[in-house]
Amino acid sequence: MSARSEAYLAGIPTKPYDLLREGLVVLAAIAAIVLVLAVAFGSPDYPPVTGQQVARSEPVAFLETSAGILAGASGIQTYGPPYTADRGAAQRVLGLAPANLPGVTIPLDPARDFVLRPLHRLALLSRGVAGALRAFEAASGEQRASWLRAYQAALAHAAAAGDTVRLPAGDFGPVPALMDGMLRLGRAGLLEGALEAGGAPYTLDFTRPLLFFQDDVDHGVARRLDMTGEQWGISNETGAFPGAWWLWPYTFLYQIPPMSTSPNGDLQVAVIMTLIFAVLVFLPFIPGLRSVPRRLGLHRIIWRDWYAHHS
Amino acid sequence: MNLTRRARQWLGREITLEDLLPTSMPVYVDSAAYLFGAAALATLGLLALTGLVLAVFGPGWYHASPAGHFVNSLHFWGVQVFFASLLLHLLAKFVMAAWRDGRWKTWIVGTLIFGVAVFTGLTGFLSQTNWDSQWIAVQAKDAMNALGVGAVFNTMDTAQVLTLHVAVLPAAIVLLVLLHLFLVRRDGPVKPMDRRWRRAGRPQ
Repeated sequence: MSARSEAYLAGIPTKPYDLLREGLVVLAAIAAIVLVLAVAFGSPDYPPVTGQQVARSEPVAFLETSAGILAGASGIQTYGPPYTADRGAAQRVLGLAPANLPGVTIPLDPARDFVLRPLHRLALLSRGVAGALRAFEAASGEQRASWLRAYQAALAHAAAAGDTVRLPAGDFGPVPALMDGMLRLGRAGLLEGALEAGGAPYTLDFTRPLLFFQDDVDHGVARRLDMTGEQWGISNETGAFPGAWWLWPYTFLYQIPPMSTSPNGDLQVAVIMTLIFAVLVFLPFIPGLRSVPRRLGLHRIIWRDWYAHHS
Repeated sequence: MNLTRRARQWLGREITLEDLLPTSMPVYVDSAAYLFGAAALATLGLLALTGLVLAVFGPGWYHASPAGHFVNSLHFWGVQVFFASLLLHLLAKFVMAAWRDGRWKTWIVGTLIFGVAVFTGLTGFLSQTNWDSQWIAVQAKDAMNALGVGAVFNTMDTAQVLTLHVAVLPAAIVLLVLLHLFLVRRDGPVKPMDRRWRRAGRPQ
């Protein structure tokens, strides 16, 4: 033993011990447990939601998403840093908005990046889409908004039949042709490719494709799988599998006010969890808390033989 | 100044082979509660092994191949057992007030391992390239962005989360675990709390 251990353990009786043997026994036991669980239960692997799936099975939802983004109604439009420059949208605690410090690092213009740019690519293959794009971009902002409002209102009464979505009559301008282009991109399985960062073909950054459906479509799927925020969100797993249960304290905070209702809820939860973690790390130095183990008395169970025979 | 000689002298003072590979233990080390740390370490080894196989074949492998899915199942349940072991180890050391007698460094490093492990678990979920990754990426981004962390860690950048999960964070965990083990073996197991000691739990 080192001089430090010799001094510390002076007068304490010892017993024979085999570190490696104990380690190997524990390793074998753990390996057996993991093997049995893996063979008996397998693991979850719920496939991702794709633009093609949504376009084919939920075309109205697909069109609502595309039209909403083009009309500036997506969650990203007014998100603030790191996507948009609206500093007032950043979450705050005690007047501080940490997101504003780095500012906009992933600049996004949802209408341009998620709808118009993919349509410009499609326009090279479709004269109809090219003409509709020219008409849309030549129109005033007021005219575009008017067409989109009418189109979104009509979508509420739309009926999908096979490959077509029937809308009530209205003054939609070129919007139906644009939305039909988006729907065709989706059905062809080309949406994600058209959305990838800057159009570069050699990228593993899926920010834009993932953000496209993040509002209603993803929430609808998550609701069916019991995975929305109010259902303890990301600590749940698909099916009957255990999820990230170690995040329960984190997801629990989202269930209670003010975090459950505040627009600053994410930052509030993050700050509270950071403080809780700091308390855990520095527990040995916190008067009162560091004495809890002695008051609990559970150590008497762990060291019961020592207290019975040596104390 | 010979740096090698000084390092050897320091190491010799701090720790011996008997500390590193002990053949005797104080008699108070006599409870299953002492096994949770070993269980966490063993599971970490299994996670490294199954993770290595998954990394070699790439993230798409386990979706299509039954063998890949089985290795993924081993990794999935390994994570569950790992966090269970880690939490039991943490609780055991808490009720033992194991930070006493100068062992606060061991406690702090241990809690940091827990924190890095939680973040590694998150990047693992994000690396699966399935619905879980898709949903967790768009959900978790809000907390990261609110904290300003989103500027450097983008939950939707699969290359970044995968690299963090298979290289950067495991390396951090291994380094912290080595430091933790060094402190554990150097200082030895903390003595049982003395009933007469009124200020139990106070670090020295």
